[in-house]
Amino acid sequence: MSAGHSAADDRSRGLGTMLHIVARIQWRSAWIWALVLGASMAGTAASVASLYDTAAKIHTYAAAVTTGSALAAINGHVEGIDSLGGVIQDEFGFLIAVLMPLLAISLVARATRAEEETGRLELLLGGRIARHHPTVAALLVVTATIFATAVLFAVGLAVFGVPPTGAVLYALSLGALGFVFTGLAALFAQLTPHARGIYTWSLIILAGSFALRGIGDVTKTWVTWLSPLGWAEKAAPFGDQRWWALLIPLAAGLTLSIAAARLASRRDLGSALVRGGAGPDRATVRLRSPIGFAVWIHRPAILGWLAGGVMLAGLMGALSHQFLDAMAGNPAVAKAMGIGGGRPVDGLIAATQLYLAVIAAGYLIQGIGTLRTEESNGRLENRLSGTLSRRRWLAAHTVVLLGGLVTIVLGSSLVLGLATALSAGDTAEFGPTLTSGLAYLPAELVLGGIALTVYGMRPRLFAIAWASYAAMTFIAFLGSGLKFSQWVLDLSPTTHVGNPPMNAVDTAALVVMSAVTAVLGAVGFITFRRRGVPES
Amino acid sequence: MTDTIPVIRTEGLTKVFGKVRALDGLDLTVQPGEVHGFLGPNGAGKSTTIRVLLGLMKATSGRAELFGGDPWNDAPRLHRRLAYVAGDVALWPGLTGGQCLDVLGSTHGSVDEQRRADLVEQFQLDPTKQVRDYSKGNRQKVALIAALATDAELLVLDEPTSGLDPLMEQAFQQRIRNRREHGVTVLLSSHIMGEVEALADRVSIIRRGRTVTSGTLADLRRHTRTAVHAVTVAAPGALTDIKGLADFQLERLNELTDTRFTIDSDHLDAAIGRLHVAGIHTLTVTPPSLGALFLQSNGETLDPKESAGDGSLAEVVQ
Repeated sequence: MSAGHSAADDRSRGLGTMLHIVARIQWRSAWIWALVLGASMAGTAASVASLYDTAAKIHTYAAAVTTGSALAAINGHVEGIDSLGGVIQDEFGFLIAVLMPLLAISLVARATRAEEETGRLELLLGGRIARHHPTVAALLVVTATIFATAVLFAVGLAVFGVPPTGAVLYALSLGALGFVFTGLAALFAQLTPHARGIYTWSLIILAGSFALRGIGDVTKTWVTWLSPLGWAEKAAPFGDQRWWALLIPLAAGLTLSIAAARLASRRDLGSALVRGGAGPDRATVRLRSPIGFAVWIHRPAILGWLAGGVMLAGLMGALSHQFLDAMAGNPAVAKAMGIGGGRPVDGLIAATQLYLAVIAAGYLIQGIGTLRTEESNGRLENRLSGTLSRRRWLAAHTVVLLGGLVTIVLGSSLVLGLATALSAGDTAEFGPTLTSGLAYLPAELVLGGIALTVYGMRPRLFAIAWASYAAMTFIAFLGSGLKFSQWVLDLSPTTHVGNPPMNAVDTAALVVMSAVTAVLGAVGFITFRRRGVPES
Repeated sequence: MTDTIPVIRTEGLTKVFGKVRALDGLDLTVQPGEVHGFLGPNGAGKSTTIRVLLGLMKATSGRAELFGGDPWNDAPRLHRRLAYVAGDVALWPGLTGGQCLDVLGSTHGSVDEQRRADLVEQFQLDPTKQVRDYSKGNRQKVALIAALATDAELLVLDEPTSGLDPLMEQAFQQRIRNRREHGVTVLLSSHIMGEVEALADRVSIIRRGRTVTSGTLADLRRHTRTAVHAVTVAAPGALTDIKGLADFQLERLNELTDTRFTIDSDHLDAAIGRLHVAGIHTLTVTPPSLGALFLQSNGETLDPKESAGDGSLAEVVQ
């Protein structure tokens, strides 16, 4: 550095360097997020525009979903739903409320704590980068990504006929939602010592936001205003268009961001406010066994996904009474949920079980992804340098993952059955609720089989497993509402289960899917036995 | 005689990753009871060799034997008899050091509890601390203690001390000697010349996936040059006639004569004799250090003129 530079010069130069680094590391995942979200929005808009191409059809839809207040608990209370934009906002409401915060959380976690944990950040801070620069750079890069996503949203909506003003406000309200979680994740990145903690705490806040918005929308009270999801909703892009409502998330996001940057510049590298103390100096006998160790590794994922499933099941079950009332009052409600015909309570459980299947499959993919992490971090080498054979190691993890899967499915179904019985007073549904949950196991296992095969053959291509999961999720959540062609619906294993308990389980399909799973699993085991470890 | 079966034997071992030949005909033999130094520059193929020997990777061609068995097909059974410390010590951040020791120990089989306790104390490890809070050196200690506490017949150590301080390095060397006294075989891949020099009975030096040279330290030294620096009262006579002498420099310092040269070990005696005749004032004879051997066998400081006809390391390298 030459003597001519002022301190301020150096500071901005350090931030510039850091921005460059973060952008370099993150651009690929940032673009994938932006494009996938943008495409999902455009796809939803296109489907809605072609399905509801007359004012009359839109009106029927609006009348259906606003009958009673139960649906509002999931998709939110959409103001101005009697319009093309309103229908899109309602259809896309649940998915985007998860994906937008997730974009922010995952990008921030990767750019901050994950870098610090691996020690790469230390290398940079040895240069002329100030302590808060990485955090600020991460905030700027993620905010830019969110803005780009919002631009894609607005363009996608406008292309398919949504009035530009509403499209822009809707896109900005979702962007502002992402911004809140950007700041939140950056703050948690300072408080928890590990990237995993950022996810855990941010997702807890997201779940809380859902609950608050749900309560507020169902009871039609001010409680909605306590939730970041409520702020996005209250901008009412297709209703009253409250532009000023954007100020709340912007102020909240900015406050959180400033707090995060302040903390980053004050704390020691690698430190955290929340930190574990001393632990046991010996491992239990259980931890020393392959199965016990696999349980230890997968327990957080099992508990986390179980909590998600139980929350969803509890919410749907508890609201079943209101759903049933709504459906009794207006048959179109059931149609809007994609559960026309049959007994209403069966339809409700069937819809929930499909959501639970998406949760259970997500757990499997993440669980098998953990094996890949074990390998790429070099820990698998340690495990296999002893008397544990590869087959036994993989078998132990498979057994534990299967046990976790059954736990999640049965636990969620149990809660769904109980809550439905309590709310709707219909105990006859208890048994079918459990069996329909179990009927989805083969479909979930096909996804697990795909993940295991990819892991066995080419672990570095594990993104394929997640892409399959994303496709399945998209089809399961939006397929029937947006009336996808049958061949698209057929791509998802969940389609073949038969939508129990509303319709009969397709036993033949379950047998076929189980066979497919067995083949995929065998391929995974055999290829894993034959390849080198670690395969990077 | 069972002790004639080498603990480790590879012949013409090759391993190809895509277009890269990581191993290119590597030969390595480790006899029972010896500490075998395994040297080579970064990327020479040391870790790949070890992974093939552990059955983690399959050789593209050539033979690899561990205790006379096939590591790829019989890994778990053979692993009962060895303990391994990986180059990048990767542990589970959520476990404490003590829990990691037990988990690693459980994969290796029998652990000597008394020795485990002694090692924890000697290496000053706090076993109640979580691994995520350990420094690199402390993580390395966990892996080392886990390996040293087992009753393994073979220790495979891949750069095990790169994060240890000198005090811990001493403790490590002492423990390795102790294990050797108990008949344990050690394959020690290392960059620390002093450590290999202090511990190894035999050494193999590899480069670009091939064995460059292998033998006892004394063997290797015999084929390399010793540096001599002498100050004598009179000018020494006809030194340059001696076979195997090179780098000759002579300087007059007032009354004395300052002479420097290098010589191969076989002719050292003749050279010193002539210096003695000239009346030695001071004499420094420097045997080649392992570091010099290492550099020499990697062809980095080797002068082609010197190597001509030398017949050993240099030719192997070229």
